[in-house]
Amino acid sequence: MNWLHWYLLVALLLFCIGLYGLVQRRSLIGMLIALELMLAAVSLNVVAITSLSGSSSSVGQVVALILIGVAAAEGAIALSLFVAIQREVQSIDVEDLSELKG
Amino acid sequence: MNWDAFLFGASAALTLVGALFAVGLKNIFHNILGFALALVGVAGLFLTLGSDFLAIVLLLVYVGALGIAMVYAVMLSQPLDAPRVPRSRPKVFGAALLAAVVAMALWLVLRGAHFPAKTGSLEVTPEWTGTRLLSDYVLAFELISILLVIAMMGAVMVARKDRSGGDRARPKATP
Repeated sequence: MNWLHWYLLVALLLFCIGLYGLVQRRSLIGMLIALELMLAAVSLNVVAITSLSGSSSSVGQVVALILIGVAAAEGAIALSLFVAIQREVQSIDVEDLSELKG
Repeated sequence: MNWDAFLFGASAALTLVGALFAVGLKNIFHNILGFALALVGVAGLFLTLGSDFLAIVLLLVYVGALGIAMVYAVMLSQPLDAPRVPRSRPKVFGAALLAAVVAMALWLVLRGAHFPAKTGSLEVTPEWTGTRLLSDYVLAFELISILLVIAMMGAVMVARKDRSGGDRARPKATP
């Protein structure tokens, strides 16, 4: 195993911890935290591969910057939705958000 | 043990411990602190990869902006003294099983993967990244700016109190 494999292993573990949290948490904010961890794992993957293997490094930097921007936008929208949901339903627990009986 | 390996190990340990705190602890504030810790670890990993600018941006956006916004959302939404019903045991077990299966599959892919060796070394400076962003990737850059503006306006619209002009959005259950 060389360096790149170690970086990818850390990203893999981070992604799976995030996946576990996303499925297991009840609170919407906890789920958002897990989702952001998964996004961070993806950008770590992209940066590690492009700076440690034979491809050009510019794509990795730009893709990681764009991923960070998308994550920020998504977090802002999600948090404002949580505040609105709390105002309507008085709860941000996913078990209480079952009006559609999904 | 050389300095690079030590930095990598410390950052990786910080990342994984923070991530475990972020999904494992019960208190939502501790989750947010663990999230910040994990992102500091990821920024350290970016530093060991030689992309300093990305590490700083990651710290600013995730740990700074998003962490503070999450704390605000917690204070606006979730009463900390509310009774917390724990997730039922089969659901927790199923989530752990799913994560383990995905981890095993990804590990099998990763173990068999072969990456071409690094050919030339390229110094990644902020100036260089900025030039790329405003020349080759200018369309993506502009699109992400538009997306951020729309997201900010949408967040304000969604979280505003009187969305329909009337008092429909008032709390229903008044004691």
